[in-house]
Amino acid sequence: MRYDSIVIGAGHNGLAAAILLAKQGKSVLVLEKNAVPGGMAANGEIADGIQGPQLAHLMGGLGKSEIDALDLKRHGLTFAAQSVPTIALDESGRHVVLQGSEASFADGGAHPDAAAFKTLRDRMVRFADKLATLTQRPPPRLDGIDLREAASLAGLAFGIRGMGKTDAREFMRVLLSNAYDAILDEIDDGVVAGALGLDAVMGGHIGPRSPGTVLTLMYRSIGGGARHIPAGGMGGAMRAFEASAQAAGAEIRYGAGVHTMIVEDDRVAGVLLTDGTEIRSASVLSSLDPRSTMMLAGPAHFDAEMVRRIRKIRAKGCTAKVNLVLNDAPRIEGLTAGQMAGRLLVAPSLNRMELAFNRAKYGELPEDPILEVTIPSLADPALTTDGKHILSAVVQYTPYELKDGWSDKTRAALANAVITALARYDSGMAGRVTAQQVLTPMDIETLTGAPGGHWHHGEMIADQMLMLRPAPGIDRYALPLGGLYLCGASCHPGGDVTALPGCNAARVVLAQETRRAAA
Amino acid sequence: MTVIKPTRTDAKAVARGLIASPFDARLRPFSLYQDWMPWAGYVSPRRYDTVETEYFAIRNQATLFDVSPMHKYRITGPDATQVMNRLVTRDVAKMRDMRVGYSLWCDEDGHVIDDGTVFRFSPTDYRLCCQEPQYSWLHDIAWGFDVTIEDESHGIAGVSLQGPTSFAVLERAGFAGVEAMKPFDMMHADGDTLISRTGFTGDLGYEIWCPAEKAETLFDRLWPAGSDFGLRPIGFDALNMTRIEAGFIAPGVDFQSSHHALRPTRGRTPFELGFGRLVAFDKGHFNGRRALLEAQKRGPRYVLVGLDIEGHKPADGAFIYHRKKKEAGHVTSALWSPTCKRNLAVAELKVPFGTDILSDLWAEIYHHKEGKWERVMARATVAERPFFKHARRGATPPGRY
Repeated sequence: MRYDSIVIGAGHNGLAAAILLAKQGKSVLVLEKNAVPGGMAANGEIADGIQGPQLAHLMGGLGKSEIDALDLKRHGLTFAAQSVPTIALDESGRHVVLQGSEASFADGGAHPDAAAFKTLRDRMVRFADKLATLTQRPPPRLDGIDLREAASLAGLAFGIRGMGKTDAREFMRVLLSNAYDAILDEIDDGVVAGALGLDAVMGGHIGPRSPGTVLTLMYRSIGGGARHIPAGGMGGAMRAFEASAQAAGAEIRYGAGVHTMIVEDDRVAGVLLTDGTEIRSASVLSSLDPRSTMMLAGPAHFDAEMVRRIRKIRAKGCTAKVNLVLNDAPRIEGLTAGQMAGRLLVAPSLNRMELAFNRAKYGELPEDPILEVTIPSLADPALTTDGKHILSAVVQYTPYELKDGWSDKTRAALANAVITALARYDSGMAGRVTAQQVLTPMDIETLTGAPGGHWHHGEMIADQMLMLRPAPGIDRYALPLGGLYLCGASCHPGGDVTALPGCNAARVVLAQETRRAAA
Repeated sequence: MTVIKPTRTDAKAVARGLIASPFDARLRPFSLYQDWMPWAGYVSPRRYDTVETEYFAIRNQATLFDVSPMHKYRITGPDATQVMNRLVTRDVAKMRDMRVGYSLWCDEDGHVIDDGTVFRFSPTDYRLCCQEPQYSWLHDIAWGFDVTIEDESHGIAGVSLQGPTSFAVLERAGFAGVEAMKPFDMMHADGDTLISRTGFTGDLGYEIWCPAEKAETLFDRLWPAGSDFGLRPIGFDALNMTRIEAGFIAPGVDFQSSHHALRPTRGRTPFELGFGRLVAFDKGHFNGRRALLEAQKRGPRYVLVGLDIEGHKPADGAFIYHRKKKEAGHVTSALWSPTCKRNLAVAELKVPFGTDILSDLWAEIYHHKEGKWERVMARATVAERPFFKHARRGATPPGRY
């Protein structure tokens, strides 16, 4: 049979696109090379048969309108913990709890920077809300701008004016600035600044001092920036995407790798699987990055300028994942059980983060790693048995290309650096580890196909955002080859589990393919 | 005061300025005027003798013009045909081996980057010969394909032998087999010499290519062979006159390479330059194809036309008006043609002029008359190109004259 659409990749964006297309009565086939849904948010075996969130471990920017549009609640999206607190770990033991815009010491004591933190964070969230309207549709078009889009752009401008003079001036001042300056203008460098800074750089090859990191901080602050732990790990949430897609009528085939795309009369006409199966469709949506997508179709179908733009997309992953299986729950002095189940940050200061980024730039292993840690089995005991726990650590500033090369030895060294860093807060940490899994950016690339193992399939920085994402000329999901679309994290608005690129792409496909059918 | 005298080693440290062509030692002594011009980094002759003498030699005798400064690229490998077809708008898969084809290539907007000649040795071996450097562009085009791109610009010398007696010169020089060559044929001679029946004059003529270190040997073989046939070296000025007569366009003159034009409105499609017939939409994707399909649907915004202009004042740079009032375009190349006895021009007109409106066109010509500028409004009539056509250009076997 000939499908209306084939979606390559059953990551959450691919599934989101499939759901919206199928709900409009389109016949949709999702092809996934791995055995489970979710891509970078899939569950996988960590060790000893324990399944858990291998890569992504927190749900952030998935908005209410996407949850509703994708029917995720009805298909089993539940959370083990919602709006978990962020614990900024302090080496002296004075840990700070950040809940929304409130900062206090873990013991409940007032934090001296609390007022300044609240001002700064509330402002970021206000600014983020102005940008939020831009994330739920294709980026503004610069050439031949149409009336409705002009209205929405004007809406942004009007929104800025509506902020009042002080806010509007501040918005324009910091928009393309760096997180380091913007944060330290308000608060002293330390764990609170580090926590804010980490939001600006997580997943990217950028430091707090990199230009444009205020924009990424705003992006992460959309909708208030709350983080949730889905029941059953991130993979549990992915099953809700899967169930919704299937309920809407989409077919999902696992273990189905795409070998090449079939191109006829300057249009994509389907795909050829690695096992030789040929499947026809009117359109193909790829949740892969632009370069992999281009290679599947063949560079011959793209003009040299576009090939160059796609080749030059910056996508160098700088984030590794270390997952530990523990025989007992970790304990950090001064933290309650509820706080332990939150989001634990090892980001002592913006300066230390920038220094950690320096090492990564020159291909060195982190020696003072910057971490975002969760212990999902605390909030969701069903993940493990026998009192075991999973500790999931995102290691920011791990180079894609290690100077000494990635090997079992260097992987073990990375795990050791993480365990040592954690032992500063929980001296019993090393003794509790029964198994470990290290996924370097290179491993993440192999596992998920993300170029450079980059979380966002392309650096999230001003020159690769909005109408420049993933590259000029392909910012509106459609590639120059007829019937071929991008629907993954490489597209506007970008990475993280937001489902926005997938939803936006599906809406563009529906509009364009309907227009084509009418013509 | 300390006087610093430049020494030989000072000059040697870094090569600066224009470089000499491989034929320089042989050709320089002919220069009566020492009138040189830069061309692609080389010292190139504007003229050796008077332009008139050289012009009439092209049309009545045989002439040598040093084309070594042309950029030459060798594209070899299993995907060479695919890469060449991705580059140019015509279908090189339809060319036979040992043939030369004129072609243009476009950017993603369908605007012409440059024009030049494609030499097809085999499906896996091509040479591209053109005016503008294309090395990095070729690499952009070839990314993802199995080919090797070599810049042969300095390694290969070339000389253009043009004029009615050019075949006789080659024959006298002992190049066997030339008599069988049709226009755009090429053949190897003596192993590493290549002769193509090509040129820029619209006349009988050949281009001879050899390794740079053998340039003088080649010259020494051609020069004595030409003594009975009026062979003489010529410069750019005379060649340019015959170029316009022959109806050829030149980048930077009749159109602007889209890689050099800073203003986005300056790019021109092959349709707008009159080369729609060289756009092969049926060969699959090539650079700019989708934009060119749109451009074809939209129709040209400009057209290049040949003009026959009243009077004898060359119309270089003249504005073209409709009904002497409305600006319709401007002249890009012009000359009084001594052979055609016509005042000729190539002009770019803004549509609908040149497509729907062809009559009542006027050229506003300014000319300098002994210290005084005068202005004439001369009637311009759209004329067919090439302006100069002669049966001897295509005759095979060619005449000896």
